[in-house]
Amino acid sequence: MILLAVIHLGEEAYGVPISRELEAHRGRNVSVGSVYAALERLEAKDLVSSTLGDPTPERGGKAKRYFRVTRAGLSQVHETRRVLSRLWSALPELKPELKEVSL
Amino acid sequence: MNAPSPPSLATWMLEHWIPGDCNDALAGDLLEEFRNGRTTAWYWRQVLSAIGVGWVREVVNRRAMVVFTALWSMLAPGWVLVVAALSQRFEVNARVLSLEFPWSTLCDLGLMLAANLIFVWAGILAYLIPHLWLRRCLRVRPLRRGILASIPVLLAVWVALIVLPKQFLNTSAGSRPSLAPAPAYTITGLNPTEVRHITPEQTWDVLYGDKPAVVINTPRTAIIDMRTSALLVRLPFLLCILGALWGATSHSRQRRTGMTI
Repeated sequence: MILLAVIHLGEEAYGVPISRELEAHRGRNVSVGSVYAALERLEAKDLVSSTLGDPTPERGGKAKRYFRVTRAGLSQVHETRRVLSRLWSALPELKPELKEVSL
Repeated sequence: MNAPSPPSLATWMLEHWIPGDCNDALAGDLLEEFRNGRTTAWYWRQVLSAIGVGWVREVVNRRAMVVFTALWSMLAPGWVLVVAALSQRFEVNARVLSLEFPWSTLCDLGLMLAANLIFVWAGILAYLIPHLWLRRCLRVRPLRRGILASIPVLLAVWVALIVLPKQFLNTSAGSRPSLAPAPAYTITGLNPTEVRHITPEQTWDVLYGDKPAVVINTPRTAIIDMRTSALLVRLPFLLCILGALWGATSHSRQRRTGMTI
């Protein structure tokens, strides 16, 4: 999900917009610290890279840390999508009560 | 009009309580969101969550260290009995008692501290040397830092355990209350001379109370002893070794983290 959010935000992918994007899609609060922890794990696996922007006064002189998906991250996203699609297509027809739950 | 400021205590905690490098980007993000209309409660929740996440991540990153320290501190009760046996064999107590006050007391405390530090330092070296060797960064500085850090940590943990409420740590051996790892005579009312004349087999019972189902008279039986009193004996060693190893390895870890950003 975080990789998709970073791809979707493009050049504006830093902590606040990523958290907002996740909140909007999940419908509940997201801890910005957890988002950073996940992004640092992804960076350690070379799935994303980060660069520091310029410090701004409205952020108390702290720089933004922009994230960008790497080539390896992009292929990981495609691979995950392929696997999920295969798994969904292999599922038997959902029972009516399960359909109601999913809706 | 001035921009609203978040709670200064929360900001201080954010900057100082998260292990590893200070995450300026996270602090800036939270400030930006706060100034965009988020509440103080939201800011506090984010700060506490970031601290929790930071510590969990740190412990997970150092899981090998935590597991090693837990296993090493399991050996502590065995070490207590070994020291008691050596002390009796070489008549250390009789020699110490023959000294004038205050040298006898100072010698007694010094020997007790030395016996514990040998165990702690052996644990630190047993972890750090292979750890640094495998990372090809075996240097004297982290070893020295770990060894030096262990002394104040051990003393602090001892003092903390001694001043903790007695009910919390109290174990009983018959009518004799005991408090690990405080010296027996400070809480049992025994004269130091009486404590010095007990046998290694009696040491465990007198020092740590809580008479066991099996006789604790060998290092092996002490190591597998899982009663509360035995766990309390291990606690200062666990905290001391963990604190020392944490301090010894933190700088090299921060340098590595800094390089990835």
